[in-house]
This record gives sequence, structure tokens and C-alpha cells, in this order.
Amino acid sequence: MSGRRKKTKQVETEMKVKITWKEIKRQKVLLFWSAIIVIYGFIFCYLPLGGWLMAFQNYKPAKGLFHSEFVGMDKFIRLFSDETFIRVIRNTLAMGVINLVVTFVMAILFAILLNEIRQRRTKKVIQTISYLPHFLSWIIVTGILHDALSGSGIVNEILKNLNLTEHSVDFFAHPSYFWPIVAFANVWKETGWNAIIYLSAITAIDPSLYEAAAIDGAGRLAKIKHVTLPGIKSTIIILLLMNVGNVLNAGFEIQYLLGNGLVKSVSETIDIYVLKWGISQGDYAIGTAAGIFKSIVSILLIVIANQVAKRSGEERLY
Amino acid sequence: MRRKHIKTLMLTALMTASLITGCGGGDGGSGGDGKKTSSGGDDGKSIKEFTAFFATPGSEINDDNEIQQIIAEKTGVKVKETWLTGQTAEEAIGTIIAGGEYPDFIEGGSGSPQLVDAGALVALDDYIDKYPNIKEFFTEQEWDSLRQEDGHIYWIPQFSNIYGEEKACEHNDEAFWIQTRVLKWADYPEIKTMDQYFDLIEKYYEANPKMEDGTENIPYTILCEDWRYFCLENAPQFLDGYPNDGSVIVDPETLKVIDYNTTPTAVRYFKKLNEEYHKGIVDRESFTQTYDEYIAKLSSGRVLGMIDQWWDFAYTAGDAIKSAGLDKQGCSYVPLPITIEEGITNQWHNSGGVVNASSGLAVTTSCDDVEAALQFVDDLLSQEIHDLRFWGVEGTDYNKNEKGEFSRTDEMRTRCADTAYKASHMCTYSYFPQWGGTSRDNINAMSPSGQASEFYDGLKDDVKECFDAYGAKTYVEMLGTSEAPGAWYPMWSYSNNITTNTDGGMAWTKMGEIKHEYLPKVVMAKDFEKGWDEYMEAYKKCKPEDFLAEMQTELDRRMEEAAKYQ
Amino acid sequence: MENTENKKRRRKKSSNADIAFTVFNSIFMIIFVIVTLYPVLNTLAISFNDGTDALRGGIHLFPRKFTLKNYTTVLEKNNLVTGAIVTVARTVIGTLTALLANAILAFIVSRPRFMFRKQLSLFWVVTMYVNGGLIPTFILFKGLGLTNSFWVYIIPGMLSAFNMLVIRTYMNGLPDSLVESAQLDGAGYTTIFIKIISPLCKPVYATVALFVAVGQWNSWFDAMLYNRMSSEYTTLQYELMKLLSSVTSTQGASAETMKNAVGAVTPVSVRAAATIITMLPIICIYPFLQKYFVTGLTLGGVKE
Repeated sequence: MSGRRKKTKQVETEMKVKITWKEIKRQKVLLFWSAIIVIYGFIFCYLPLGGWLMAFQNYKPAKGLFHSEFVGMDKFIRLFSDETFIRVIRNTLAMGVINLVVTFVMAILFAILLNEIRQRRTKKVIQTISYLPHFLSWIIVTGILHDALSGSGIVNEILKNLNLTEHSVDFFAHPSYFWPIVAFANVWKETGWNAIIYLSAITAIDPSLYEAAAIDGAGRLAKIKHVTLPGIKSTIIILLLMNVGNVLNAGFEIQYLLGNGLVKSVSETIDIYVLKWGISQGDYAIGTAAGIFKSIVSILLIVIANQVAKRSGEERLY
Repeated sequence: MRRKHIKTLMLTALMTASLITGCGGGDGGSGGDGKKTSSGGDDGKSIKEFTAFFATPGSEINDDNEIQQIIAEKTGVKVKETWLTGQTAEEAIGTIIAGGEYPDFIEGGSGSPQLVDAGALVALDDYIDKYPNIKEFFTEQEWDSLRQEDGHIYWIPQFSNIYGEEKACEHNDEAFWIQTRVLKWADYPEIKTMDQYFDLIEKYYEANPKMEDGTENIPYTILCEDWRYFCLENAPQFLDGYPNDGSVIVDPETLKVIDYNTTPTAVRYFKKLNEEYHKGIVDRESFTQTYDEYIAKLSSGRVLGMIDQWWDFAYTAGDAIKSAGLDKQGCSYVPLPITIEEGITNQWHNSGGVVNASSGLAVTTSCDDVEAALQFVDDLLSQEIHDLRFWGVEGTDYNKNEKGEFSRTDEMRTRCADTAYKASHMCTYSYFPQWGGTSRDNINAMSPSGQASEFYDGLKDDVKECFDAYGAKTYVEMLGTSEAPGAWYPMWSYSNNITTNTDGGMAWTKMGEIKHEYLPKVVMAKDFEKGWDEYMEAYKKCKPEDFLAEMQTELDRRMEEAAKYQ
Repeated sequence: MENTENKKRRRKKSSNADIAFTVFNSIFMIIFVIVTLYPVLNTLAISFNDGTDALRGGIHLFPRKFTLKNYTTVLEKNNLVTGAIVTVARTVIGTLTALLANAILAFIVSRPRFMFRKQLSLFWVVTMYVNGGLIPTFILFKGLGLTNSFWVYIIPGMLSAFNMLVIRTYMNGLPDSLVESAQLDGAGYTTIFIKIISPLCKPVYATVALFVAVGQWNSWFDAMLYNRMSSEYTTLQYELMKLLSSVTSTQGASAETMKNAVGAVTPVSVRAAATIITMLPIICIYPFLQKYFVTGLTLGGVKE
């Protein structure tokens, strides 16, 4: 079924083109555009990395990057000897991983299930509705969530009516509820939006494959398993690989808006730490140092993930 | 295909609609704001345009704002103001410095020291004497207190400066507030201590668990969201009869700083909250509610009492209570002069101005005409322009009787509070220097909020009745006024700006974090003593002594400076 | 015989499963729609509710005190027209240029023969995870003359690794036979890109266009940062943010600053109205793009 794709992959991996003048001439159009793109990328994405110097300085905007006092690894040492920073890394990682898994699974599930809706108009309407929350700001979404989970909110009403609890559960007072709440909020806001990409990938699946499966007597579940999922597998893998590198970007606003003193130990992320101990203190180095740490971890993670993908013969990032 | 047409139509309609409504507001963004000068006005008189950036949240006014136009015609200057959006002050100032391009005027907030370091500000010392209204704004001593390490004055603090007799009616500060219905029910008793306050709330709640419409009352709630947790943490300084120094208590006799977090009063206060929490008097959602939820609770009239700053709830919840007619049930709030024991003079309200020397309006080196810029500041402080800024246009925004007294009708009052009207008509130049107190005409207040008659007319009936019962006319009289504290005041103008660069600053930031995390736990703890001990253990690890030492140094410095003028 | 019997039985069994599946799916979708629609309807209700009244909370699906005032407040905002024009311009130009640039890049790195395929991909993948920070980027843009300019909305964000990878994955999935036969006919890379690959990539182009367009439409931070002082380049979202963030940007604020900023606090209802106004155009545009997702299906039929 996915033979077409497999074949492409083989071609790809087998093709080891030697760099010869003839080949260069042949690929001159590609090379020309690549050169432009590399120059562009160098200027806009790599040149600002010179700012990483700030992490090794007592950076003062007044003195600029070249005249600020050098302090070597001081800021890194300070970060990693701070218990709070270690705790914050734990929180970020935990929320990053939970969010990644939950939002990922939900988006794929939703895309596949939506695709199974036969009536085209219903499908369109549901899809349009599903991505609307993406356009609401976190402050609105968290506001509604707070409302729903409050002592007199709908969730507690339901729990009480089902006799599951006697007193209202104070969801925001217990650290153990915080991560699931954040995960739910992410799913709520982004599932429909994240599903768009899978829906577009599903459209690329050859309908004849479904027909063939139907002739083999496959039911809808079997079709999903043998046609749809393999059809969007490469998209899934690519997005998974990309997002693995993003687990340390678990967010800022949502935790900031949902958190409070009682759940502080689990709610603070690296970004919140940077705001509190770096930016708000006029200490740019802390933020940059934390940023470098995040970049290194991200790149390590994707290199590993990419290797795994390569070993199992899947689509890769590079 | 037809559906497609409809969609296209809708889209066009939407765009056109926004175009039309936008145009109704005037010539939109057609004015070349990027340029420094543009000629405006029908008479061909050239109006100089300055830019200003304020590193603080604020609301922008329209380009064609009416009063701004009037001021421009009178002074020949118009200032395009921009406010902080989605960034912290330090970050915004940091990028502006990195770019090296400044607006003409700037208020750096907590980023101000960075601006001085970068040499971005014009030293004002040599100019001040040339502008009488600016010169008059501060005393010689106050001006000197603004000098930075290099001996120059770079900014003019804009607020809390009193001209003539002080005219405060509102208590725009912190207090224990209580609904008038609670006081009325108990026949307006004298409430002087914290224990009496909670006793009263308890008794009222026992007798009236519900409101008239059946909603349950919430006896006492505490706002604890982010920086707004001052509602929980800083009461001990007031309970001991000290003014709001913000971060420490200053003993006026010995001139030593005292940590209010560890005083016996602090223990008693949190113990009381702990008891009340377990009695069900303190709202169980206190520590998890957001600001919006807190305001919603207050607005529904259910909350009998809380501690908060007036500005933090009065303009939102206070207005909502009024518009829902809940003031008729006695749901408006009045402050009570509470201390820990009877016999302590409270200092919830202090008279006199406060110079927050840590930041203010500055002129930058990018300004090509410093003299014109300062002339404008001078003009803004003249009585005529000042009235325009804070009262508005005579006849439209306020009336003047034969005695020269200003007053506003209800309609004028409501309109002046309207967001859209404020943007299109009012122009307070709110982050430029301004006066409080009495107008130079000796009749009116500098702004409507200080006008006694104006204030009394705007008062809700239940509050009037309550005031009458206590023989008070204003919120301030409910609390009583104390003399301005000593020359050190306010210490927060220093602690607000310290950073983790110093040991003291490090300790201060850590203390804040620990208090934020532990104080709710202390209040909720089953065993108060144990909870308090855990808190203290964590608190001591922050090295509060470093912070106190730094504050003591600053206090000594301030007193030394002040001694030069005695 | 036995075989067909078997098949029939299997079909019957699967049709039972199909029904169960349909029921489950319908329930899932109904719950999903309710849960996702609620916040939007709630925002809509609040946007039509009186501001002071809305403070009391408890508004769910319908406004309690109906008013249009929140919308007029937002629409009367200064500079909204300039902002709208700039936003439309940046969305249109930005989407077209970004789509073209990402498609070219994706095309290059999806060519099996291309000699630096792996290196060029890696070069871009890394950019997703590194960031020089606010101030260095600002200094760079200023040096390039991109501050106080419209082009800061277009040029820096033109290429993104994410969009490139999405297109690349799609292109990788296209049959090589088409390209090979074209190459035999003597077609160069440019012709292949324009004539053969791009028409097949409509669904993914539509997806990426949507991502870029939404990003362009919603962004305000760049307008705030780089065009703070030139209001002729303000964007719609920045103007709305000014209205909104006076409440939200209080992170790290202090009592002392807020005391002087009273009145800068925007009512929730105005916030809601601004949100709805932002959402409207996107809701209107999306159905146009959805069309291409369906086109993909029919194209798929002739693929192999």
C-alpha cells in the first residue's frame, strides 16, 4: 500500500551523487538558489547567534556586546547551582513531554475520525469549528478554564451530581492536577489547528487504495489501520521529530496564567524563570544562557531522534 | 458558486465596514508621525511634534484627540505617546538602548538606570531654573534627592505632588475594607482592631449567610495573584501602625529598618487568617483565584470584606456594584482604621506628597530641541493647561459657577469615564508631571477626584449614610490622616528598583518567591505552628539580613541627605 | 466457495464494527464540537455584553445586558485603518513570498540527486532551535535598515524550516516517475518545479499558505518592536494589542506603577470584541482554502 513511498525512500538513500563538474553543471539552478538561501539563512538565522556572547558577559545595553565585561561561565554556573533552575527544567520537560504526547495523539485521532465523516458539509463545519479556539488568546482560554474548574464551576457540579465527591475539588490548589490541566488546555486550544496538516496529508492518499482495501473486505477500522495511517505516516514522523526538539518550549503564558503560589513548585517553566530572574532584573545573560542550554538540548534531542528514524528507515529531518 | 459570492461579499463588507468606522474617527494614521515636525492647525501656525515612550502600561489616545489639539494650539506642541505593550520595562528599554534611537521624551520605569548608563538622557540641572513652573514643582531638597551618582538630575517624577492644601477625599491606598451593610447591621460600631474586624464579619455572616437574592455571602477573600499578593503579605506593617514603606518598616525613633515579615504582629495576623480559614470565613478559593475571578466576586456583592488597594478594585468592582444597584443593599466598601491592638495610631493614610525618585519623565539626547520640550512641560503645569488636562473643556466636561467653582453633572461624570470618550476627547498627558491638591485659584482641586463637592455628589447612598454615622465626609476621614512620614519615605522607591546584581537584591527577589509560595500554605496549614516554622526555615535561607542591610544603607543615605537641609 | 463464505462473514462482522465505529465517532464529534465551540460562543456573548456588567462573571452563552458598544469602542480605535491596510498588505505579500521561498527550498532539498541535500536540510533544521535573542536580532535588523520599515514583516520570516519540511515531506511522497519522464523529455529543474511538482502540491501549498497567512495576520510583536515609532507601519493586531495588553502585560508590574496606570485597564468585554474582530476574516478565508484540500483527493486519483 505504501509501496510507492517506500520506493521513493530507497531511491533517496541509495542516491549518493559524486560531486563532479558535470553534476555541478547539471544542478546549477539548484545550486544557484541554494546559495541565495544559504546567504539569507546565514544573515537572518545565524548572524544573530553572535548574541550568545551575552551569556558570558555582564551585558549592559549601554555598553553593547563588545564592551561589556566578560564573566566566563559564571552565569551557567549560577544557573545550574540554583535548585530552582533544576526544578524548572524538570517542570518544563515534564509538561513538554506530556503536551507533546497528548496533543499529538489527539490531533491525529481527530484528523482521522473527521476524515471518516461522510457528509461533506458536516465535515467542513466541524473542521471550521475545531480550529477556532486557536485564535483565542491564552488569557481568554485560561479564564474559561478557571471558571469551569472553580468551586461552583461546571466540573465540580458534575462531580457532585455523580456523587464522586462531596466537597468541591479545588483543582488549582493541588500540584498533582496542574500538569494534566495544562495538557488539557493545550489539547482544547490546538487540536483542531494541529489536525489541519494531517487532514491535508490525508487528501494526498490515493483513493484507489481505499477501493482496493474495500474489495479485500476491509472494514472502516481496517482501512484506517492499513490505508490512512500508513498514508500519513511520513507527515507524522516529520512532525514528531520536529516537536521532539521542542519539548523544552513547553510554554510561558499558560503556566503563568494558570499557576499560583500553591502550585509554584510544578508550574514554573524555564521561560518563566528567565523572565523573573533575567529579564525583570535587567540581567540579559541569564536569559541567553538558558536559551543556549535549551538550544543544545533541542539539537541533541533531534539528532538522536533523527538517528532513530534513520535506523528504522523512516522519513528524516535531514 | 453562489455561496462563493456570498463569502466574497461578506469579506468585502467587513473590510469596508472597518474602513468606514475607522474613517469616522478622523484622518486615521495619515499624519506623518515618524517626522518630528509637521505643520498643523488651520491658521498655518506650525505645531512641533514630539514623541514619547512610557515603559509602563497605558492607554493611547487618538491622533485627532480634541483636547490634545487645543493644547497644541495653545502651546505649539503635540506629543505622540506610546506605551509599553507585551514586554517588561527593562526589556523594552534594553532594546531601545541597543537601537540607539530614542523618542524625545521617555519614562524608563525600572529601566531608568540603564538609560543613564547609556548616556541617553539630557541632564536637566541647567535648564530647570529657566522654567518657573518646573522649578516650582519641587523644593530644592527634593530636586537634590533626584540627583544621580554623577550629580545630575535626569528626570522629573510626575506623581503625588501636592500644590497648596491637600484635597484627598478618596483613600487611593491600601486598607481593610468592609461592606456598609455589615456595619449597618451592627449599628455602626467602632472597629479598631483586627480581631474586632473579623469578629464582626463572623457574626454578620452567621446571621446573614445569604444575600437578598439567595446567593451565598463570602465573608472574607484574599487576592493573591502574582504581584497583587500584597493583599496578603504586607498588612503587618499597617497593623503595627507604620506607613506603607512597601518593603520594610522604618522605626522613626531609632531610624533602623525592621523586617515586617517576622514581627510578632505578622505571626498574629497570619495565625488569625489561619483560624478564620478553618472556620470557613476566609474564602477557600483565595489562593487560587485569578484577578478576574476576584473582581467578579466583588462585583456580585457577595464579599463582605477584604484587604486591598482602592485603585485595584474601585474602578472595576466598585462601578459594577453601582451599576447593578447593589449599593442599595449596602454592598459598597468603606475602609476601617484597623491596627493590631487598640491605642496604636494607624497610618493607612498619610498626607503630603511622595517623591518617587527612582524614575520620571526624561528628555533624551535624540531630542533636537530640548528647550522647546521643557517649555512644553512647563506649559503643561500652568493652571490653564492643567485644568484642560484634568478637568477638560469648560461647558463640555465641567461647569463653572459664578464663584468660580467647578462641578460636573452625572452625565459629564459618566462620559469622562468612558473608554472611547477618553481616547477621542480627554488628553491628560498622564505621564507628564502633574499636581494634586488645590488649584492656583484657591477654590478648586487640581483634578475632579479631589473636589469635595464633586466627590460627595458622586457618592453612593449607602456610603453617605455610613459616613454620616461615623461623622466622616470622606474615605480619608474614615481612617484619619497622619502626618507625612520622615524624609526617608517611601522606602519602596528604592526596593522596587534593586536587582539580583547585589546580595540584597538577590535576597529580596528570593524572599518574594518564598513568601508567594509559603504564605498561602501557612494560612491553609492544619497546624499553624508547624506551617509557620517551615515558612520561617525557608525564609531564613533567603538571607533576609542581606536585604535589610542594603535597605539600612539606603535609609542612612537618605537621612544624611535630608540632614543637609535642617 | 468457502472463501467467499468467509469473506461474507467477515464483511458482516466488519459492518457491525462499522456501525459501532460510526456511533462512537458521532458521539466523539458532538462532544468535541461542544467543547471547542463553547469558548468561542462565550467570548462572543461577552463581546456583546455591557462592560461593567460583564465584570460580575457568570455569562455563558448569551449576553446578559446587550450592547454593541464594545465593538464601537474597538472600531473607533485610532490608526485602525492604517493597521488594517498594513496587515492586509503584509498578509498578502508575506504569504506569497513565503510560499514561493519555502516551496523552492523544499523542492531543492527533495531532489534526490541534489548534492548538498542533507547539509542544506540540516542547515535549516538547526534554525528551528537556535535563537540569538531579542537584542542581537534588533541590532542586526537595524543595521540592515529593516527597522521603521514595512519589509521587516516580509523578509526576516520568509523562510521557515517548519514550512519547508511540511512541503518537503509532501513532495517526497510524490511519485518519481512523473519527474523522471519529464527529465527524459529534457525538462530542466525550473520547468519541473513550475509545471509538474507545484500543481500536485496544491493541498500542501494551501496548508502552508494558511499557516503563514494566519501567522502574518496575528503578529504584532514585530510591529511593536521594530516600528514602535513609525505609526504608518502599525498593524491591526498591534493596535488591538495596545488595547488588550494594558491588562495582560502586568507581568512583573508593581503596585506603584499600576496605581498610576488606572484607567489603562481594558474591560474584558472589549477584549472579547477585539478577539472576535480578529477571528472574523480568518473564518471567512478558511473555506476558500479548504477547497484545495478536496482538490487533492481528485488529483490523487491520477497520480500513479
